[in-house]
Formats: sequence, structure tokens, C-alpha cells
Amino acid sequence: MSTLNLILCAVAAASLDICALVLLLTAYHERSAGKKRWDRMTSFMELADYNVSYPLGCDEILIGRHASADIRLPDLSVSRYHALMTVSNGIWTITDMGSKSGIFVNGNLVKSVQLRENDVIKLGNRRLIFRRKGGC
Amino acid sequence: MSSKIAYVFSCLFVIIAHGGMLLNVFFNGNYSSINNVIILSAAVLLLDAAYFTAMLFFRQTTYAIDFLMILLLNMSIIFQSCFGGVRLSVKHYITCIVALAACRVGYILCRNHKWLQQQKKYFYIGIGILMVVIVTLTGSRNMWISLGPITIQPSEFIKPLFILACATSIAEQQKKHKILFFHVVYENFALFGLMAMIFLLQWWCRDLGSLPTFVAIYACGFLLRICYPKAKFSKKKLVGAGVILLIVAIVGIKFAPGYVQDRLHVDIWSDPSGDGYQQSRALIGIANGGWFGKGPGYGDLHNVFAHENDIVFATISEEWGLLYSLMMIFVILIIIMIPLINPPRSYFHGTVATGICAAFAVQMGLNIFGSCNMIPFTGVTIPFISSGGSSLMVSGFMTGMLIACQSPVFKQPKPPKKIKKTASQVNYPPQYRRESY
Repeated sequence: MSTLNLILCAVAAASLDICALVLLLTAYHERSAGKKRWDRMTSFMELADYNVSYPLGCDEILIGRHASADIRLPDLSVSRYHALMTVSNGIWTITDMGSKSGIFVNGNLVKSVQLRENDVIKLGNRRLIFRRKGGC
Repeated sequence: MSSKIAYVFSCLFVIIAHGGMLLNVFFNGNYSSINNVIILSAAVLLLDAAYFTAMLFFRQTTYAIDFLMILLLNMSIIFQSCFGGVRLSVKHYITCIVALAACRVGYILCRNHKWLQQQKKYFYIGIGILMVVIVTLTGSRNMWISLGPITIQPSEFIKPLFILACATSIAEQQKKHKILFFHVVYENFALFGLMAMIFLLQWWCRDLGSLPTFVAIYACGFLLRICYPKAKFSKKKLVGAGVILLIVAIVGIKFAPGYVQDRLHVDIWSDPSGDGYQQSRALIGIANGGWFGKGPGYGDLHNVFAHENDIVFATISEEWGLLYSLMMIFVILIIIMIPLINPPRSYFHGTVATGICAAFAVQMGLNIFGSCNMIPFTGVTIPFISSGGSSLMVSGFMTGMLIACQSPVFKQPKPPKKIKKTASQVNYPPQYRRESY
């Protein structure tokens, strides 16, 4: 194979390499777009404790004391698998997972309820506020 | 489209990559008439343009996988058209178009997992029907159905259905039933039974090549079911499952039937014209190709049986060089990596993405390492690259599922239509209700 042909092979290989790199960068760029879209789908909501805010990054959020819970509340008054939050059509719902102390939303004991902005959720001794992202 | 600049740049670089390959074919290729190169170039660039336009009609969050798929499919068209001399492989071209259409179908069907959850029984029914088809229509020595010029491999179509069955079971982990002293999930038994039936079917057909792919899908689904927060699975059970799997694998290899044992212990260099023919020729082909290859269409491996699918890695390495083959593998690996860059937003889509990536990775590994004599030769295809209608169509469909995992919708499916009520039966909202005195 002549030098020119070798160079052409290298050019073809290099163009594929650069293309793969560009597509990888595109994927990284789209990551932020995906995050924004998810925020829109979940109505820009989050759960907040006193100083801590918990992002709702998945369509099913398990709240409990267990290490495998998505939102872990290390408090003995909270059951290991206490509550499950789900989102559908942009509306968040909280459901009791058979906890001992139950779920209180705005002071009312509930089994399953749709959440609204600034609802106060009491799980055991812990209070969480369902609020808009960046709210205080 | 999230960013017009990213879209334009991605289109441009995909075309540049294909252009570079076509330039290589033009200068270094083995063709009898320049028309062959022109037709091939026009077909590739036309498919690029058509798909880039079609992408605009679908509202997705991410398009990276689409670009990677069209890049790979057109690469495979160029590769397959160059084996043994440059001319457009029309059959492969049509198959790739079908694969692209299957990708769109997969995307549309798998976006809403809540709707899919309701269709769960159809996955099991579909797998059952395919198994019956295999048992009745294919022989006990193969898994192919011949319909004139077309051959179909029904076992390929089980893969996406099996992935969906694994994924839909993830939400059932909470529903435990007590049997004697154990809390069990019925769905897990159903999946295990399905896996056992697939194993028996492949054993009966004497085609255990794609069994590792199914095992990988099942293993990923199993692991994710364990990791599912509501599954409440203990680490002891996980370790126990791993140990059982290891023992089954060792016993399986030890007591495998004769034809499997032959494949496991074959010495390709002691019998290069018999059992080790394909692998020995493949290794010689890779060595002959070197880093930059002999040139498109100048390889000798096109004379070997199944050069376009079973040993396609070696055939490409011989004609295009090892460097190019490795980069092709790198592009497939990027597709597998995309769910790590932009993670799915639900356990269902996470399980689907993991199953698909496991299937692609295992298929690719079996083909490449099998060609290089590192593991027993199985004849499994490389996704997107190998020829074969069923394989390409299913790869396209699974890629559509992967795209759906990136751009899901979280909407409740519409309730089933009810019989129209008469005016007296209609339940009006309270403010419109008229009290009867």
C-alpha cells in the first residue's frame, strides 16, 4: 500500500474517531437538556427538610430509614420503608408503604394523597415540605 | 431538538465519517466500475439525509443514539458492500432501512411504561407463540424458517420481549405472597420458568450460541430486582444466587453434550481445515490486514462461510484494518454507555436499558472473542454490523427501546372505554347534581 493510500486510511479512521467524539459530546450536552425536561415533567418540585433539599430525580421515590431508600431519613420514628412518591402527568402522589407511624399531610393522616405545593408531610418525627425547587 | 448547533454538528460529522470511508473505497477499493462506488456513495448519503430529516418529526430529549445508530448502519452498508469487491449490497441496504423503521416502532411503543405495564401478559403470550413457532416450524437442528428468498430466525424476536417481561416484573417486587415460611413474588417464578423454557428450547434446537445473551438479560433483570428498593432483598440471598449460578455454570460445562464439549476444547491449529477452519482463517485474515487493512474489497475471507456475520469482525479487520475495526467496536460501546451519561428516570426504563446493553455487549463479545479463538466459536452476530434481517431488525427495535428510555413519558394510560350510559345513569359532578325531593 502506497503512502497516499495509507494516509487516506488514516484520514478515514480519524474522521470516524472525531465523529464518535462529537457524538459523545452531543450526549453530554443532551444530558442537561434531559434534566431540564425532567424538571418540567415533575413540575420543578423537591422535598425539603430543615436545611437539606432532596431532589426528586426518579418517577418512584422511596422514603425510609433503610440504606436502600432513595430519600433516607435516619430516624427511628421513620419506618425502614415508609412512603413511596410517584409522579404521573406532572402530579406527585405519596403513598404509605405500611409504616408504623403513618403519613400526615398538613396534619391529616392519609394512606395515599396527591401532593400540592407547600404541603407539609410528617413521617414519624420528621417534617418535610413539598415545595418548588429553590424555594425557602 | 434541544440544540440546533448540536444537531447540525452531529449530522455534519456523521456525513464526514461516511465520506472518509467512501473516499477510502474510491482510492483503495477493489471495484470494476466507478459506477459501483457512485451508487454506493449515493445510497449511503441518501439514507443519512433521509434519517436526519425523519428524526426531526420525533420529539425526543436526546438524539445521540439516533446519530450513533445511523453512523453504524451506514458503516455496515459500506463494509458489507465491499466484501469481495465493491458493489452495493441491496439486500443489506433494505434490511438496514427496515432496522431504522423498527427503531422508530420500538421508540413509540416503549415510551410510556405505565401503558406497557398493562400489556405485560402479551409479552408472555408473544414469547409463548414464538416458542411454539420454533418447535413446530423449525427443525430440531436449527432455529431458522425459510420463506423463499427470506430466512427468519424467530428466536431473535424473543429477546426484546424477554427484556420487556423482565422490566415489567420490577414493579411487582412489592407484592409478596407467603408460601409456608417464605415470602415469594410470583412474577419471579414466571420469569425463571421462562428462562428455563428458553434454555430447553435452545438445547433442543442445538443452538446454544445465543443462550449467553438471554442469561445476561435475565441476570441483569435479576440483579436489578434485587436492587429495587421495595424488593427488600438481603445481601445473603444475592451471594447465594451468585454461588448457585456459578455451580450451575460449572456443572453445565462439565456435563455439556458432545457437540458443545468439542467446541470448548477444539484446537483450531491442529485441524485448520475441519472444526477450526473459520477461526484459523479469521485469525490469519486479521493478521494479514494489519493496522490499516488490505483495502476495501481486497480481502480473502469473503470465500469463507458466514464471513458477513459469524466472522464479520475478522473480515472487516482484513479489509479495513484492525484500527478501524476497534473504532467500530468503540462506537457500539458508546451506544452502550449512553444510559450511563443520561440515566433513565424510572426503574422500568433502567431495567430495559440494562437488558439491552447487556445483550449488545454479550453478542459483541461472543462474536469478537469467538473469531479470535479466545472463547468457543458461537456464530452470534455483532449488533448493527453483521448481516441478517432478523438480527438487524431486532437490534433496531432494541435501539428504539433504548431511545425511549432516554425520552420517556410519565402519563397514566387512558381508562378503558365503557358502555355509553343513558342520561339517567350519568354521574354528574356534585355542582350539577339535582337533588330529588
